[in-house]
Amino acid sequence: MRRLTYILIAVCLFPLLGVGMLRADDVQFRAQAPAQVIVGRPFQLSYTVNQRGKDLRAPEFTDFDYIAGPYTSQSSSTSFVNGKRTSSFQMTFTYTLMAQKDGTFTLPPATINIGGELYTSNGVKITVLPEDQPQQSNSGSAQTGGAGQTAQRSNSGSGQTSQSGPEQGNIFVRTLISKTKVYEQEAVLLSYKVYVAGVDLKQFTNNTTLPDFTSFLQQKIDLSDVQLELENYNGRNYQTATIYSTLLYPQKSGDIQIEPASFEAVLLVPNQARSRSIFDDFFNSYTTATRTLRAPGATIHVTPLPAGKPASYAGGVGKFTMDAKISNTDVKANEAITLTLTIRGAGNMKLLKTPGVEWPEGFEQYDPKVTNNFKTSTGGMSGTRTIEYLAIPRAAGEYTLPAVQFGYFDTEKGKYEVLSTPEYTLHIARGAGDQGASAQPAGVSYVNKEDIRELGSDIRYISAANFVPAGENEVLRVPFGSWQMIALYGCPLALALGLFVIFRKRIRENADIIGVRKRQANSVARKRLKTAKKLLAEQSKEKFFEEIERASLQYLSDRLSIPTADLNKETITSTLRGKSIDDQLIERTNRVLSDAAFARYAPAMGIKPDELYAQTEQLINDLEDCKL
Amino acid sequence: MSFAQSPAELWTRANQAYTDGNYAEAAADYSAIIDAAPVITRAYAPVYYNLGNAHFKQGELSQAILAYERCLRLKPTDKNAKYNLEFAQTQIIDNIADTQVFFLREWVTTLRNMLPLRIWMWSSIILFSLTLICLLLFAFAHSIGVRKAGFYLSIIFIICSAIGFANAASLNHRDSVRAEAIITRGIVNAKASPDRSGTELFTLHEGTKVTIHEVLGGYANIEVGNYNGWIPVNTLERI
Repeated sequence: MRRLTYILIAVCLFPLLGVGMLRADDVQFRAQAPAQVIVGRPFQLSYTVNQRGKDLRAPEFTDFDYIAGPYTSQSSSTSFVNGKRTSSFQMTFTYTLMAQKDGTFTLPPATINIGGELYTSNGVKITVLPEDQPQQSNSGSAQTGGAGQTAQRSNSGSGQTSQSGPEQGNIFVRTLISKTKVYEQEAVLLSYKVYVAGVDLKQFTNNTTLPDFTSFLQQKIDLSDVQLELENYNGRNYQTATIYSTLLYPQKSGDIQIEPASFEAVLLVPNQARSRSIFDDFFNSYTTATRTLRAPGATIHVTPLPAGKPASYAGGVGKFTMDAKISNTDVKANEAITLTLTIRGAGNMKLLKTPGVEWPEGFEQYDPKVTNNFKTSTGGMSGTRTIEYLAIPRAAGEYTLPAVQFGYFDTEKGKYEVLSTPEYTLHIARGAGDQGASAQPAGVSYVNKEDIRELGSDIRYISAANFVPAGENEVLRVPFGSWQMIALYGCPLALALGLFVIFRKRIRENADIIGVRKRQANSVARKRLKTAKKLLAEQSKEKFFEEIERASLQYLSDRLSIPTADLNKETITSTLRGKSIDDQLIERTNRVLSDAAFARYAPAMGIKPDELYAQTEQLINDLEDCKL
Repeated sequence: MSFAQSPAELWTRANQAYTDGNYAEAAADYSAIIDAAPVITRAYAPVYYNLGNAHFKQGELSQAILAYERCLRLKPTDKNAKYNLEFAQTQIIDNIADTQVFFLREWVTTLRNMLPLRIWMWSSIILFSLTLICLLLFAFAHSIGVRKAGFYLSIIFIICSAIGFANAASLNHRDSVRAEAIITRGIVNAKASPDRSGTELFTLHEGTKVTIHEVLGGYANIEVGNYNGWIPVNTLERI
């Protein structure tokens, strides 16, 4: 009966092995066999086709013993859904085979004739596990090879067994870790796998204790379709199933402990009581028993990321490639440019920072649009992240869009890598609504006054006058600050100074003649008086008086700076008055002058020469004392 | 196409191209006239003016502003160039007029830009000579009225001469240093230091006039209004 259960489970969970879509659109012809079988246990290989076929040619079963078959069975169904008829037909050819030795074998494709055409099925890969090793207290409960799987898993993790051996059978949970030595942020696959042999596992209760993975970022893997596999472990074949699987991204370095987990399983235990009747035997009776299965803990050694992160490091750990595509490099102003970056790879894709794009000045940029296409599988997270950067140039010109850098840590090489896009040169032409003067020649209005309505404004028209490319007058083209220019200031200055000096000198000279005469007036007068005295001694009276008159007149002319021509009684009187000489002295001066004149022209007047001489001498002495 | 042609022929052809709406051809011909000139004199101001128009019609705002500015350098009194420059400046994005400049300084600059360098220089020289004549009159004239007039006139003349000299010197400095430049790239961000990693301080747009203080390793230290920063040299062109 137990055996029957296994078969039922196996049939129910039979996964489809790679559906072979063959030549025709509708014809589906596929081979199915369990992925793992055990040496010495028969298994079924079936070929299913959805149309009526004949003349099935199976491959040579070289590595397997042929036991029976092919048994042909047909089934067809017709259904109406919303008035729509769907019908299906299925024809199955079943062989029963048995493996001879352990190893991995591939059954080549079979062929079938459908309506005169030959169709080929897919090949089937079968892993043959060795027989159970004879183990103490293990009756080696028989299992038909009914469990299937989709993909062979290669967990290299070392899981310690935590056995909880119930009656004859064995059930335990292993902790499988894909890697125990990783870098920070490098994904680790942790899964709990139940191994069952010789007991009936009904279900797991919700009473599960999982470690709290505090130092990790966790990404659970969807296990909605539980897959049963056969696995030979420690010499015994077990039915295995992964019951919990998660990707862990370490967030800190060091040895991180993962605590043990525990699962509560419900087992079906056959009643031990001896059967009383034939019916008891026939309707086997069971009781359920719960059992706590403990999965051991583990330690993960997390190596910190080495120093020397590139500036463009975006937090990625794994293996990535980057493609860049730019929508257009020759656009008009105000037309959008899209730069699309596609980061492809495997690693901590979710934690990648979006690389920054340095758009040139004058580009209006928008938030990048990020599209993720991630797949979380037992191998880690992989997929693509597409980042679209949109920018709109607002001004014309030639610009350079610098290379976008994306730095990540390559776990395979153990060092940082920097991916870089090419540098783009963007030619932005002037657009219709470009700032600045528009391409249209006219009509840029910026003033709208109330009184006069301007229809538009524009620059003034070109100068159409005759153009004579004249050079500048050489004389006028004196460079500023040159010696010529200094000379232009210096020459007039020198000329003026020269003139000044000359004029000044002449004036000074004139001034000196008068001064000398003034100073020498006394001595000249005395000389004349001396001559007069001599003449008096010689008794030539007429000459004596002439000399006296001359001496006095000469003296006054020199002393008062009056030209001889202007010398007369009036000028002398007024000049002396102007110099504020007292009247008595003026009177005396006039008297001397008139006496001298009288004596000269009218000798009969009886003027005494000695008296006149003394008066003249006295007058000159008195005038000498005055300030003139 | 570009066989040797006299400037006058090029001028006629360029004007015809402009009239026909072939602004690119016109601009190329005007540029050829300027390139062929042995020395750029005041006579070339209309060429720059027309070149500015041709650039403007093609929407090359910064090149147009450059050409108008150069035209006004040669002939500060050109009203059409002034008008078109102002018109082109209304099209640029940066509004630098907001920054406060001391009014006296603005007057002085306006006065300076009213006349070209040579005129300032020659007036200064002539006024200086007049000053000297007046001083001589003051010193040696017999009549007291002439001497008084000489004295006051010499003061007025020496002040005017000094103003002329200062303006000429200022213009000469401007022309030899060529510190003023126009942004030629659509948008450029000024940074706090002359390298790529410098903090971005402010954004300038095409056509804005800036003052260059210093050039260092492909970056120019520029000042515009109250802002000061570093921008790549290839994003601007000196007037």
